[in-house]
Amino acid sequence: MTFILSHPLVRLIAGFVVWSVAFIVLYAAQALGCAYDWGDWHRPILWLLYLLALAPLVCLALPGNSHDHQGTLYTAALWANRAALLAAILVFLPVSFVSLCI
Amino acid sequence: MSQTPSPIGLHKQLDAIWRTPPGLARLSSVNHTILGKRFMALALFFFGVGGVLSMLIRAQLATPDSAFLGPEIYNQIFTMHGTVMMFLFAIPMLEGFAIYMLPKLLGARDLAFPRLTAYGFWCYLFGGSILIVAMLVGVAPDSGWFMYTPLSSKPYTPGINADVWLLGITFVEISAVTAAVEIFVTILKMRAPGMSLTRMPLFAWYMLVTAGMMIIGFPPLILGSILLELERAFDLPFFDPTRGGDPLLWQHLFWLFGHPEVYIIFLPAAGVLTTIIPVFAQRPILGYRAIIAALVAMAFLSFGLWVHHMFTVGIPHLALAFFSAASALVAIPTAVQIFAWIGTLASGKPRWDIPMLYVAGFFVVFVIGGLTGVMLAMVPFNTQAHDSYFVVAHLHYVLVGGFVFPMLAAIYYWLPHISGRQSLYRLSIPAFWLILIGFNLTFFLMHLTGLMGMPRRISTYPSNWGWDWLNLLSSVGGFILTMGFALVLADMVLQFRFGARFRRDPWRAGTLEWATATPPPSYNFAAIPHIETRADQLRPALAGPALAGGQGYLGFVHRGEQETLGVNMVTGEVEHLITLPRQSYLPLWTALATASFFLALLFKLYWLAPLGALVTLGLFLVWPRGLGTRRDRGPLDIGRGVSVPPDMEVHDNVTILANRTALAMNATLFASLLFGGLFLLVVAPNWQDSSAAQVPLWVGAVITLATLSGALLAARARHDNARGRPASSGLILAILAQMIAMASIIAAMFWLGDPTGHARRAVPFVALSYAGLHCGLGAVISAHALWRLAKGYVSARRRTEMVLAALWNAYAAGAVILSLGLTGILGLGGATS
Repeated sequence: MTFILSHPLVRLIAGFVVWSVAFIVLYAAQALGCAYDWGDWHRPILWLLYLLALAPLVCLALPGNSHDHQGTLYTAALWANRAALLAAILVFLPVSFVSLCI
Repeated sequence: MSQTPSPIGLHKQLDAIWRTPPGLARLSSVNHTILGKRFMALALFFFGVGGVLSMLIRAQLATPDSAFLGPEIYNQIFTMHGTVMMFLFAIPMLEGFAIYMLPKLLGARDLAFPRLTAYGFWCYLFGGSILIVAMLVGVAPDSGWFMYTPLSSKPYTPGINADVWLLGITFVEISAVTAAVEIFVTILKMRAPGMSLTRMPLFAWYMLVTAGMMIIGFPPLILGSILLELERAFDLPFFDPTRGGDPLLWQHLFWLFGHPEVYIIFLPAAGVLTTIIPVFAQRPILGYRAIIAALVAMAFLSFGLWVHHMFTVGIPHLALAFFSAASALVAIPTAVQIFAWIGTLASGKPRWDIPMLYVAGFFVVFVIGGLTGVMLAMVPFNTQAHDSYFVVAHLHYVLVGGFVFPMLAAIYYWLPHISGRQSLYRLSIPAFWLILIGFNLTFFLMHLTGLMGMPRRISTYPSNWGWDWLNLLSSVGGFILTMGFALVLADMVLQFRFGARFRRDPWRAGTLEWATATPPPSYNFAAIPHIETRADQLRPALAGPALAGGQGYLGFVHRGEQETLGVNMVTGEVEHLITLPRQSYLPLWTALATASFFLALLFKLYWLAPLGALVTLGLFLVWPRGLGTRRDRGPLDIGRGVSVPPDMEVHDNVTILANRTALAMNATLFASLLFGGLFLLVVAPNWQDSSAAQVPLWVGAVITLATLSGALLAARARHDNARGRPASSGLILAILAQMIAMASIIAAMFWLGDPTGHARRAVPFVALSYAGLHCGLGAVISAHALWRLAKGYVSARRRTEMVLAALWNAYAAGAVILSLGLTGILGLGGATS
């Protein structure tokens, strides 16, 4: 994982790739839960997925201690990853309170 | 090195290698400067066509109860206006600009695949011509530019109008996807040595992100068009709710493309602004790193808001909340860029010139469009304003503000580069004011018309609803706007005819394109520079003469080939020497064969279509003839005391990167198909009305075993070749294995039952067809590698063909396994009945 993230371009898009995957998974889980009637389990599952998505984004949003990155690109990547974390918190937050299937 | 010729002598030698012959031989041109200009000229022609159509619309709507156009003609005209402006003007214009500009900005002599550029241009020309001819004979598409089903389905559009759109646009989209691959690879691999990613001008960053978005964004539309054409032509019911389909699937596939498309159009324009503003502010751009981060954020967020076009179709609150939040959030990275531009101007010493007038116009118009966009992102307001003229006003503020104004700034800034002459300016200022006033008069009032309840796409309206004066003023504004564009056109013509000639860099810019002579020579740079600082802060007026004198890399013509350099993607360190193919008629012939395929489908000559496809494939296989070498050449001198291996002898060359990129695009198309199948399983109202399609387990096992064997054998052949061992037998066995897999898939499709009866059988039918096609492609690419191997073009070092065979066979195996998996899953019970 660290090896993959050492590539500056991968690090630049890593946060938003996680955001995109989380978006698809949450949207699919919302649809599947309604279609197959997950009942009381539906919202806890969405909560769990929400928190699972935030975990790697928090890691990516923290500054690393490696010095072998190119400064400009490393900073841009850090900001992009923090933006992804912010986007995930805001866009996925409705799983906690909005009606799921209506 | 040996004696360097004079700059003029070097120019003559290089031009003899790179120039396109005159006369009819111009049709064989593969040069990016020529093709970029052709793209832009054709796009401007289509802009004129779209403009005439908009005038017809405004003439019709100027007064109530108008009988100027009947509803049938009106439907064709507004559909064609949107289609022409989006697909035949905006996208090709940005492609053409990137094709013309990127190599010059990056310090390369051409794009990575010049023949592909030419092929893309011909596809654009022929595909666009299909649409225009259809309009002239009265059978233009008439279902709106987004072709919603069921209106565009066979029962409601029985003529060929919708087929013209589906086939014509898909044909045109070939040029978009080929351009995307080319731009992506060129930016990553063909910069001047020393130009690391962090020294790259921001315009190249914008185009890199745009190309990435095109690679992911276009396949859903292409898949949707294929599925709808299959439904219309062969009655496979993907969008028919009575047979397990769902019209909403089309909306999802369309807007998965359609919303990112807005940003695909905007980002290159924003790249133009990011290039122009620092030149006139006379200081470097503020926030280089923040802009890169904002670009990435915009690119991804723009894919997460496609459903905001579908807020009123009946979607649960949670899904609405996701897409509403993402729609509002995308304003933040947009604002980061706008503040960076304003900050650059505020902290610099701005000088006003014509391009800056349009930059100012952009700020006003685009910010209004952005703010109404945030309004429409809010679900309650969207529900009220949906399908009204408020949306028409918003989208024109965004697209004209976000693309047309920056394009006009770009025309005034870069046209001297193309013409070698400066603008006369006599018409420029009145043209700007006519455009700004005309635009706002036309479209600002549409906000009000929309809020007063006027729906989109109505051909006329009664006079007692209070819309009369607003529509009349909008129409007056539309004609003022047209006068402004006419003056811009006249200004361009006058510049070419009477403009004063100038030497390099009239704007005192900092980017490399101004280091070329103007108009630029066929090879761009007589020598390729070494970049030692950020490439938007150079001094092109000083660098230009030195480069023209051969001071740099490749400042000689020893080998008599079209040469440029390949670099490390991140560091910009020079890695290899790229030899580009010369002019050829093959792209034209291949595009004509492709046209025969699309025309055969359009005119229902289904026996002819496979022939057209086969000829196209055959011609593509002929392209590499004469390219490559039959011996390892080893490191070659590129000047400045540096030697690097040729492109074909390195493991991560441009051809391999392009194929990986194409496969990523292909995988997105396939993922869209998987999404479509699963969407219908979960959502389609009559999914369970039919028995499931089943492939017997043993047949599935045979197919899987065969295709996996093909993939492993191709990988083994690649491995053997890299170690200098014979690889032919591995390739032959891989071909056989994939042929067996393909034959087994064809047999398995008979078990599926009649695919026209129900979507539950149609989706597996298409998925397995896709898998079978890729098994066949795996076999063909392996056979091609075998042929190149036998002819001596492949060695342990020259292994590109072997890598491609392994890649495509592995992809085929993955497609087969996922297709069989989808078939199995769709056999499960659906959620609704």
